[in-house]
Amino acid sequence: MLELKEISKYFGGVRAVDGVDLGVSRGEILALIGPNGSGKSTIVNLICGLFPLTAGRVVLDGTDISDMPMHARVSGGVARTFQNIRLFGQLTVWQNLWVAQNSGEQRRQNFGRRWFGGSRGARSEIERTLEFFDLAHKSNELAANLAFGEQRRLEFARALSAKPALLLLDEPAAGMNAEEIDQLDDRIRKVREDGVTVLLIEHHMELVMSIADRIAVLNFGRKIAEGTPAGIQANPLVREAYLGTPETA
Amino acid sequence: MDLLDLIDAVQSVADGVLFGATYSLLGIGFTLIFGVMHKINLSYAAASIGAAYASLLVMSVVQAPAVLAFVAAAAAGGVIGGLVYLVGFRFIPLANPLATLMSTVGLLLLIDEIIVHATAGVPLNYPALFSDVIVQVGPFGLRGDLMFVFALGCVCMVVLLLLLYRTRLGLATRAVSQQPTASLLCGISTTRVNVLTFVITGIVGGIAGAMTGAAIGMLSPLLSLPLTVKGLIVTVIGGLGSIPGAIIAGLIVGGLENAFQFFRGVSERDLYIMLLLFAFLVFRPGGIFARSAGRD
Repeated sequence: MLELKEISKYFGGVRAVDGVDLGVSRGEILALIGPNGSGKSTIVNLICGLFPLTAGRVVLDGTDISDMPMHARVSGGVARTFQNIRLFGQLTVWQNLWVAQNSGEQRRQNFGRRWFGGSRGARSEIERTLEFFDLAHKSNELAANLAFGEQRRLEFARALSAKPALLLLDEPAAGMNAEEIDQLDDRIRKVREDGVTVLLIEHHMELVMSIADRIAVLNFGRKIAEGTPAGIQANPLVREAYLGTPETA
Repeated sequence: MDLLDLIDAVQSVADGVLFGATYSLLGIGFTLIFGVMHKINLSYAAASIGAAYASLLVMSVVQAPAVLAFVAAAAAGGVIGGLVYLVGFRFIPLANPLATLMSTVGLLLLIDEIIVHATAGVPLNYPALFSDVIVQVGPFGLRGDLMFVFALGCVCMVVLLLLLYRTRLGLATRAVSQQPTASLLCGISTTRVNVLTFVITGIVGGIAGAMTGAAIGMLSPLLSLPLTVKGLIVTVIGGLGSIPGAIIAGLIVGGLENAFQFFRGVSERDLYIMLLLFAFLVFRPGGIFARSAGRD
């Protein structure tokens, strides 16, 4: 459903992403891994439109979205989370989710009721999402006052609010303990079962090997390998790229 | 000081507080635009006076009751607000901290020049509402035109607060002011929010301009500079980005202005207001309701 065609991004002389071809098929979980600075986050930023491409095209379901503004890509079905959390701190948990309901259908639904807080459909959707992420009891809390783990869950929940077809998760497990990572694992699987395609960037190899259908490996802005978890683990190029990087030990 | 002087002083302060609603509205306008764009729009008060002039133009063409002047000023304010965004912000590089400051100074001068050209610099009479009504409260008399101005200001503030805190548009506005990038990635068009903020603050400004005209009975191009300064002072004292702060600060500045004028004369009045601003900058730079936590 998503095709990256020879995409490149140069920052001055630095080739952060250098001619990467990558395809994500509908319904799969594709993990993007690589050492620090290999260009993983830059690729996510290019897909969601945070900055313009130096070269190449981003195609979603046959539509070239390379020149689409960021907010339009969201109604087009792309949502993301951030590596460092960017919630609306002075809005409540509930409001964080409601304000993110911006798919075309949701806009129409919310239009009539936009003055006093959400259509019935919007409300029940938010309730279900809050339940799923174990945040229902925090519904009226300001996002800034949540604990770290809760903020991570809210960030994930907010990304799902616009009912994306493609979800980009940028290091969702960063700073989580083993139990939280287990829950995250379950939630990503559940989200995929609901028909969302997932592109996952993650350093936590246990999680990646457990849930990814396919893995693509980046190093110095180039794709050096792509394949099944087992194949990637056996790949000598990948071992070489990772040699001496402690976070994958 | 004998009793009569005291009554006069209280009367004068009360008049000032009522007129202070105008400053509150201007302060809210500055603060809202700063909230979503993190930029100061220096042309705001001039645009408000411009909108009041535009309403005079409408009134000269159509025979209509005086209350229509306020409606016309609000409409003109909205249009001018949109134009200010288009000319002063839309194509100006926002990353440069001085660029929009200069473009809005340019717009301030432009609006002033247009007014001076159109009116030859001569002050024009502005229709006042309820100017013949005086409500006696004990020894004090509350002027009807000022009370109308105050009431209108309060209505505007309530509507604005409802818009901001009870609607989806307001929610989007607050989201943009807290996390512009994340807002875009939640599907909120920040451009749309910015335009709407300029139009809405423009409407409020137009009403504030008409209120100024109605309270002092005339409009003059000389009004725009002092109103710009007062609006900015109110914004700083209230705390940049705080709407309740702007409301309270506007009323305080309005009241103190008249108090200083009563005790020290009109020539010294603004000096003391500036001293008040200075005191706030030194001792309470975050404004009346300094936020405990920073934005973000």
